[in-house]
Amino acid sequence: MRCVTCGSQFHRGNGDLGAMLAVTVTAAIALVVANALPLLTLTSGGQQTRATLWQAIGASYDRELPFVAIALSMTLIVAPAVELGLLMWLLVPLCLRTRPPGFVAMMGLLRALRPWRMVEVFFLGLIVAIVKLSALATAVPEWGMFGVAVVAVSLAALAWFDPGALWRRAGEVVA
Amino acid sequence: MIRGVDLQLASCHGCELVIRMRDVDHDAIAVCPRCGAPVRFRKRNASSHVLALVVAAAALYFPANALTIMYTEQFPERRADTILSGVKFLWGRGSWALAAIVFTASILVPVLKLGALGFLVISTIRHSAWRPRARTRLYRALEVVGHWSMLDVFVVALLTAVVQLGQFARVSPGPAVLPFAGVVLLTMLASASFDARAIWDLDRGSGRGGYE
Repeated sequence: MRCVTCGSQFHRGNGDLGAMLAVTVTAAIALVVANALPLLTLTSGGQQTRATLWQAIGASYDRELPFVAIALSMTLIVAPAVELGLLMWLLVPLCLRTRPPGFVAMMGLLRALRPWRMVEVFFLGLIVAIVKLSALATAVPEWGMFGVAVVAVSLAALAWFDPGALWRRAGEVVA
Repeated sequence: MIRGVDLQLASCHGCELVIRMRDVDHDAIAVCPRCGAPVRFRKRNASSHVLALVVAAAALYFPANALTIMYTEQFPERRADTILSGVKFLWGRGSWALAAIVFTASILVPVLKLGALGFLVISTIRHSAWRPRARTRLYRALEVVGHWSMLDVFVVALLTAVVQLGQFARVSPGPAVLPFAGVVLLTMLASASFDARAIWDLDRGSGRGGYE
């Protein structure tokens, strides 16, 4: 259904809460992989280094760049982790047909956080960084980068679901 | 052409529930029965908020592009890159696709975004009747591309950190990083402050809500 005035779509996307929960769990597992495993391996003059996301954030903090460290941890760890945590908090009870505690506040927080996660931009940044590094050293992607890609894809997939479906289900459960 | 105001309907900014407003007054406020957020026909003072943010972002755009964004030292060489010279570097290495992506995300998108937001606000203030449907679509496109400009900040941060760990060279961020991140942040806030519904207030004096 489209708006008769501006032509934009109503009730965008899928309202299947079970499918939404499945994508959320996938993204959460991938987020753990992206955080725990090295993103890339560098080789220069026989010396090998593995870089993880946390080391990258720590290194930018050490280089007197607290602002960059905060921006990285907010957009890459805190915002996606809180979003996925909130979604699980909301979706598990809703799928079991009970109303999650603090539903309205959680929905508000979810909406406020959404623009600030930038995992998909970071993934493109990793590709650009690997090409630029090839002038200085040999850089090879590792499993952590695969994790980042899966997080980026599943967060993008979550955008295809209709947040209105959560409101409607919560309304049915209360009634 | 029918608007929500004409039918006394407004959508909640918090949860998108469409509710019937008791007042016909354009400055009317109701409380959303579902999520408790205040509901208005139009966001208040949206145009001045957007204009202020656009002007601030445009001012930061110049240092962001003119200053150095990244220093690279690998004995005996030392180079200082602006955003544009970073694109040239990628192009020179034969990574044409990546050079095109970085050029689009870092240079083209911020300029187009600033121009488009300025155009949207001014045409809305003037109650322009010029292709409102196309202007609505333009606004939706801006919302999607907004955060991709953060790309260069991530690249600089990654290179600084990773090269630091490897200890075979030294990469440090330049003075352009902060203004550049500022441009992205301010344009994201500006497009979030804009009220696309006001594009449809074609008659002077109808549904003004801050667009006087």
